[in-house]
Amino acid sequence: MTEKNRREFLLRVGSTAGMCAIGYQGGAALRSLVPNVSYDAPTTVKVGLPSEFPEGLKFLPDLRLFVFREGNVFHAISAVCTHLGCTVRAEALPQPEAKTVDGKPLRLTHRFQCPCHGSRYAGDGSNVAGPAPQPLAWYHLSVAADDGQLVADLAQTVDHDFRLTV
Amino acid sequence: MRRLKRLSLTDSSPAAPGVHPQPLWSLRPTSDRQSGDAVVSNFILHWFPAKVTKASLDWNYSFWLGTVSAALLLLLTVSGGPLLFLYVPSVERAYASIKDIEFAVTFGSWIRSVHRFGAHLMVAAVFLHLARVFLTGAYKNGIGQGQRREINWVLGVFMLLVTLLLSFTGYLLPWDQLAFWAVTVGTNIASSIPLVGPQVRELLLGGRAIDQPTLIRFYVMHIIVLPGALGALFVYHMWRVRKDGGLARADRAARLPAPAASGPVPTKTYTLLGVARGTSPAVTTTRLQDEEATVNAVPDLTRRAAIVVLGTFAVLSAMAVLMRSPLEDPANALVTPNPAKAPWYFLWLQEIVTDTTVHIGSFTINGAFIGGVVLPGLIVGLLTTWPWLDRSPRAAAGVWFPQSRRTQNIVFLLLTLFVIALTLIGTFCRGPYWHFYWPWQGWPDIPTRL
Repeated sequence: MTEKNRREFLLRVGSTAGMCAIGYQGGAALRSLVPNVSYDAPTTVKVGLPSEFPEGLKFLPDLRLFVFREGNVFHAISAVCTHLGCTVRAEALPQPEAKTVDGKPLRLTHRFQCPCHGSRYAGDGSNVAGPAPQPLAWYHLSVAADDGQLVADLAQTVDHDFRLTV
Repeated sequence: MRRLKRLSLTDSSPAAPGVHPQPLWSLRPTSDRQSGDAVVSNFILHWFPAKVTKASLDWNYSFWLGTVSAALLLLLTVSGGPLLFLYVPSVERAYASIKDIEFAVTFGSWIRSVHRFGAHLMVAAVFLHLARVFLTGAYKNGIGQGQRREINWVLGVFMLLVTLLLSFTGYLLPWDQLAFWAVTVGTNIASSIPLVGPQVRELLLGGRAIDQPTLIRFYVMHIIVLPGALGALFVYHMWRVRKDGGLARADRAARLPAPAASGPVPTKTYTLLGVARGTSPAVTTTRLQDEEATVNAVPDLTRRAAIVVLGTFAVLSAMAVLMRSPLEDPANALVTPNPAKAPWYFLWLQEIVTDTTVHIGSFTINGAFIGGVVLPGLIVGLLTTWPWLDRSPRAAAGVWFPQSRRTQNIVFLLLTLFVIALTLIGTFCRGPYWHFYWPWQGWPDIPTRL
């Protein structure tokens, strides 16, 4: 190995090692920005006794959830627009409509509209106009064993034939 | 320097370069010798060439939009300084600190307005600068050696993007309703990217919900990362302007027939336009040698630059004194404002994400992805590659609306008009639930809360 070759070799080894070190440390610094822990709000939430819910619709703003009651039958629809995540608003229909949703009858009392980009949803959450790509999510409801409160599970979406009878 | 001395046109030679008995001599040179010396010796003037073509100083060629943008960048940096001391990047205290700046701090409202309106003006100025460069084909290379104007065009496109990101991260910091729902919509656009979207959103938010980690991320982007990037791009942009021989207009002036040269042409190592790469400067036999076509950069260029910079300061100062900066209600995750409008420079995008959801049978592509990611990506891709797609002759560089670039200029203008039209619709014709209302139509009464 001539002296020139040796110098060139050592230069390459040195610069490659330097690049690797900088690259790895840069990657490590960036990796620290990817959160390992997310302090999310709990997804299973007690929302109150069934008797406290009015007939028709109740909006729970912290959960961004609409809870519907028809006698002793409950279901819950998300208020998060499927387009870009704004909170949709409910508008009472002048006349409730009867509709069959997923093979089960449902009385539609409201419709939903999004203030950000004008998406519109029917009372069962199905997207009818505007940029919304999907229907609003339906969430699972259950009754707490200990105190009988309704429990909404925001991590569990359900089909549109879901009903909770208490 | 030795050469400069030999070319000295007067007999007033100072003891050493830059040493003059007269104070402020570099601002008021009394001879060609002094004005050339000013550029070499004065730190602030060193980025100018010794001489410039008269044509490139014309008001109605460049409209000095780059200078306006740079002046606004300076003002934004300076006005950001005091705000850094006064603003608290915490979700609990950010809104209150902005309120303090607005209502309790002496001159706070004015400083904030300079910063806020400066940002609005800068978005406009940088875009108009880009439009001017496009319409005059100024990203095209002319006659100089080593010109790479296309690089400067790409740098400029990136600088426009960084300007927009700076504006976006900036209006998030007050943590008002505008901020909260802009973060919601902005990060959900990122989340609509197939496969990696949710991870990108989580990285932007610093978690899965909009909270303290989100604010601190956008804050650091706004005060360190993006200004640093813009500063680096700006410096490189200015350096390239010099390397490329100044404005494309100067090349054009140089293409005009030279006055009949008698005898050998003098070669200079400091060329007029600084385009000397290689051994033989290409510009020596052109009009650039013509005394009639060029002027000293000091004071002719510096005077106009000063007028533009001071004029920008004056306009922004007047705006900041006369108008209050907006501040919406505190961020409230429970209520989306109705309608929730982005600032004017993003309204066209808000319109586009509204209209681009595609249904093909049972298959749906979210408008957030098409209008928020694909279309802007296409626009940026097209802009950055355009200098290589533009096949017009070199003679089309540095002139407004040349015949050979008519089609591309018309298409560019039509696209710009389309964006402006969408912006106007978003500003004046969108009411509650993003429904369309004519500006003279009233909005229906809609309860703000259920």
